Amino acid sequence: MFSARRNRAAATFAAMALTGAVVLTGCSGSGESASGGGGEGGGEPVSLNFAFWGNDVRAAMYDEAIAAFNEEYPDIEVNVSFLGFPEFWEKRQIEATSGGLPDVMQFDYSYMRQYADNGLLLDLEPYLGEQIDTDPLSEQILGIGVVNDTTYGIATSTNAWTMFQNPKLLETVGAEPYEGGGTWEDYTEYVAGVTETAKAAGQEIYGGTDYTGRIQNFEIQLRAEGDALFTEDGEPGFDQERLQEFWEEGEALRNGGALPGQRIEEIYPLSGFDSALTTSELTWDNFGAGYLGNLGEEYTELTLTEPPVTVEGAKDLYVKPSMLHTIAATTEHPEEAATLLNFLVNSPEVGAAFGTNRGLPASETQLEGIELDGLDAQIRDYEESISDRLGDAPPVPIVGFGSIEEKFRQLGSDLGLGVITPEAAAEQFFQELDVILAQ
Amino acid sequence: MSTASRATSLSTPDAVAAARRGTPSPAGPPPSAQKKRLNRRENLAGYGFLAPWLIGFFALTVGPMAISLYLAFTRYNLFTDPVWVGLDNFERLFADPNYIQSVTITLVYVLVGTPIKLAAALAIAMLLNYRDRGAAFFRSAFYAPSLIGASVSVAIVWRAMFSAEGPVDSGLSLFGIRLGSWVGNVDLVVPMLIILAVWQFGAPMVIFLAGLKQVPHELYEAAQMDGAGPMRKFLSVTLPMLSPVIFFNLLLETINAFQIFASAFIISNGSGGPGGQTNYYTVYLYKRAFADLQMGYASAMAWVLLVVVAIIAFVLFRTSKSWVHYGGDTK
Repeated sequence: MFSARRNRAAATFAAMALTGAVVLTGCSGSGESASGGGGEGGGEPVSLNFAFWGNDVRAAMYDEAIAAFNEEYPDIEVNVSFLGFPEFWEKRQIEATSGGLPDVMQFDYSYMRQYADNGLLLDLEPYLGEQIDTDPLSEQILGIGVVNDTTYGIATSTNAWTMFQNPKLLETVGAEPYEGGGTWEDYTEYVAGVTETAKAAGQEIYGGTDYTGRIQNFEIQLRAEGDALFTEDGEPGFDQERLQEFWEEGEALRNGGALPGQRIEEIYPLSGFDSALTTSELTWDNFGAGYLGNLGEEYTELTLTEPPVTVEGAKDLYVKPSMLHTIAATTEHPEEAATLLNFLVNSPEVGAAFGTNRGLPASETQLEGIELDGLDAQIRDYEESISDRLGDAPPVPIVGFGSIEEKFRQLGSDLGLGVITPEAAAEQFFQELDVILAQ
Repeated sequence: MSTASRATSLSTPDAVAAARRGTPSPAGPPPSAQKKRLNRRENLAGYGFLAPWLIGFFALTVGPMAISLYLAFTRYNLFTDPVWVGLDNFERLFADPNYIQSVTITLVYVLVGTPIKLAAALAIAMLLNYRDRGAAFFRSAFYAPSLIGASVSVAIVWRAMFSAEGPVDSGLSLFGIRLGSWVGNVDLVVPMLIILAVWQFGAPMVIFLAGLKQVPHELYEAAQMDGAGPMRKFLSVTLPMLSPVIFFNLLLETINAFQIFASAFIISNGSGGPGGQTNYYTVYLYKRAFADLQMGYASAMAWVLLVVVAIIAFVLFRTSKSWVHYGGDTK
């Protein structure tokens, strides 16, 4: 008797749920049609979502680029949104699972495999040579966006690992710039020297940051030794001991030689170099424009020098494809999206808007749009100057590389704060690595 | 009186239910077919009105909970299908030093923060209860932080306040205390967040204040006649009379404290730093789920939290028998 009541309740509930669902879908359906016909005037106005990571400086550049795009294609409306790098990916991950990825995305190499393997990106083959002009792009650049023999993305630019230095800050301290190359011990000594000179003069300026916090410095050390972060099969190319050794190298820098861990936490998400606290920083060479933006008007000049080298004559550096652009597999307007992608990758106007903010442009037509002067010219010259040290780029990063990089950063920060030993950190890193590789 | 009314209110639906079931209620004649149809229609209408809530309850609460329980036993990265791994996630939890640290700081936050917050709330409530003039103004003023405390903007302001040379640092330096930045200091971040939580004492304060208004004035008068001082009155009259309210606040605030997220997330820029000191339980859970895409692991974390909070609530309820006195109790 009780169950009879419950059955009836269940039936009622099901009926109501169904009605509710119909009402809901009805709503969203009408919403869509409204937005489809929302434009005015000739043609078929289309609206695209575009997302990138970056800061205000880059956002202003994209505004300029999109304005130029709309002059040529007034019927394609572009809704732009941006976030910082980690947040950008958190948001994409959620959208990826719910089918709501933006039509066009600025994309990082480290996530290519993961998204391509899961069918989230649009196969660009049908648009190559049509909406997307491939003539200005080299074979090597086109090859970068290929996963499992299918083109999913186009790289806008390349960049290389470098050492930035701040000449004005060095002048304030009264120290000489680091001359480039040399051993890691040389660099460590140099950093500590600058810090000491500044300290003696009562200034809070440091020669640099503990370089062992960045996985890329570890990578170029491994490359110099003939290893790699990850092999072609996606296995780690180093063991726990090697990692521990690397982190132990940073001990002198963490113990007063470089910017203290606590200060790094306070200024995060800016770096010491952004905040005019350090005179040198090892990073990707396209960071220059962002640094100048964050440093403010007082600083107008930066220099680029070669990073230290582990084994003289090693081909440890490489040119990394940066800022790929991809299209979501779910886009409703693939042709318009491809048009936008082409514009962002190839047009001289976009080149003029960005300079080297996204790296040195890979597309010839886009490169023509840039008057390479100041920092932009320095970056080009730098990439030419290191040609002897350039080796083959590593394979497309393994799935989960983004998490691995973040774990490395976090452990580096813990080391800087002195809450963990290099031994324990290396152990934790490998624990985490096992889990990520098992995913 | 209350028991009597409860009895009547219980008996009525029983009779209605009996009528609905079609069994002749002992008091009345068998219902006609027409009446049955009417009943059914009323029933349907009832569930109809309940539907919005029911749909929400099943689709947004029960469903996701059941799925997350299943996911807790799987390896799931959102992109590929979940893979059953049995108890792996739970084994990993207790071998993960970050998890252990996260549990530790969360417990410190709950066990230290909650009592201080309740004490502050009770103290302010008693002050407000002491005199009526301007009470409405102060009540609102003291309540305001609770409204905005969990917001993003306050966490940002808080971050600035506790930075090196910020107002807190400069203020303390007047007394010769130089702590520098709290935000980047491994030892000071948890205290800073506890202070932020205590500052949001408004909600328990308002409830305490309502409780204090309920304490019969005669009791204080009687105590006064017996020569009780303010301390004795507080211990022997206020506290026992207020114990149900204290219990309610304690339970609510403890459960709330376990769920600290926004302030820690914003103050650390989502990094959980410095040194993992803002990596509270829910922050770590979020990072595991959405930064590392380890949904199985995160679900396991969520269920451990649920069970622990349930156990704590259960323990609180059990111990409450010995210290919570309801009005009219003879104990």
